[in-house]
Amino acid sequence: MNAVDWYLLLAMLLFCIGAYGVLARRNVILIVMCLELMLNAVNIALVAMSNFMPGIAGRGVLFALFIITLAAAEVTVGLAIVIANYRNKRSVQADEFNRLKG
Amino acid sequence: MPHGDFQPIAFSVIAAWILVAAVGVVTLRNIVHSAIAMVFCFLGVAAIYALLHAELLAIVQILIYVGAISVVILFAIMLTEAQSGPVAMFFNRQSIFALPLSVGVAGVVSAALISAQLPGVGSKALNPGVWQISKALLSEAVFPFELISLVLLAAMIGAILLARREEEDR
Repeated sequence: MNAVDWYLLLAMLLFCIGAYGVLARRNVILIVMCLELMLNAVNIALVAMSNFMPGIAGRGVLFALFIITLAAAEVTVGLAIVIANYRNKRSVQADEFNRLKG
Repeated sequence: MPHGDFQPIAFSVIAAWILVAAVGVVTLRNIVHSAIAMVFCFLGVAAIYALLHAELLAIVQILIYVGAISVVILFAIMLTEAQSGPVAMFFNRQSIFALPLSVGVAGVVSAALISAQLPGVGSKALNPGVWQISKALLSEAVFPFELISLVLLAAMIGAILLARREEEDR
C-alpha cells in the first residue's frame, strides 16, 4: 500500500462511521453532526489525493476549502430549520417529524 | 514504510484518535458528549491536514469547524435540549440494518483499496503553500470564490428568516 492508500482508508472508515450515525440515530442535531463527519472524510480523501497525485497536484486543497465553506452554510441553514421545527413540534427526534405522512 | 514523506507513527496515532472520536460521536448517549467528541475529531482532521502539508487548510479547519460550527451546534443543542426531557430511545428502528450496511460497505471498499493499485500515485508531497492557494483563488478559481460569498450571504439571510419568531402568531 502507498501512503495515499492509508489516507484513503482513514477517510473511508470515517465516512462509514458518519453514514452509520446518519442512518441509525434519532436526534436531528446528531444527524447533522454525523453529516459533518462525512464531509470531513471527503475532505481528507481530496487533500490526500492532491498531495500524492502529480496530475491533480494542489487542486484538492481548493476543493476542500470550498467544501468547508459550504459545510458552514449548510450547518447554519440546517440548524435554523431544526430550531424552527422544534418550535412547532417540541421535539428534535427525526422519526417524530411525520406530519406530511399520508 | 519505504515512502519518504509518509510518517507512519504520527499517522497511526492521529488516525486512531480520529476514529475513536468519531465512534464516540455516533454512540454516546448524551448529545453534549457527542458534540465534544466531534470537536476532538475535527482537531484530529486538522492534524491530518498538517501532516499532508496543507497548513492553510489545517488553520481553516480549526477556525471554521472547531471554532464556528461546533459552537453553532452546541447552541442548537442548548436551545432544543432544555425542554425536551429525557429520551428513552437513542437509535431508530432501522439501526439494526444500518450497522451491517455500513460495516459491509467499509469491508468491500477497504478490500478494494488494499488490492487495487492506484495509477499515477507518487510519494512526494505536492500540496501547495498559502502563496499558490491565494494566487489560484484569485485567478483560475475566482468565479467560485466570488460565488461562495453570495452563497454565504444567502445562507445567513435564510437562517435568520427561518429561526426568527413570528410576531403576528402570538
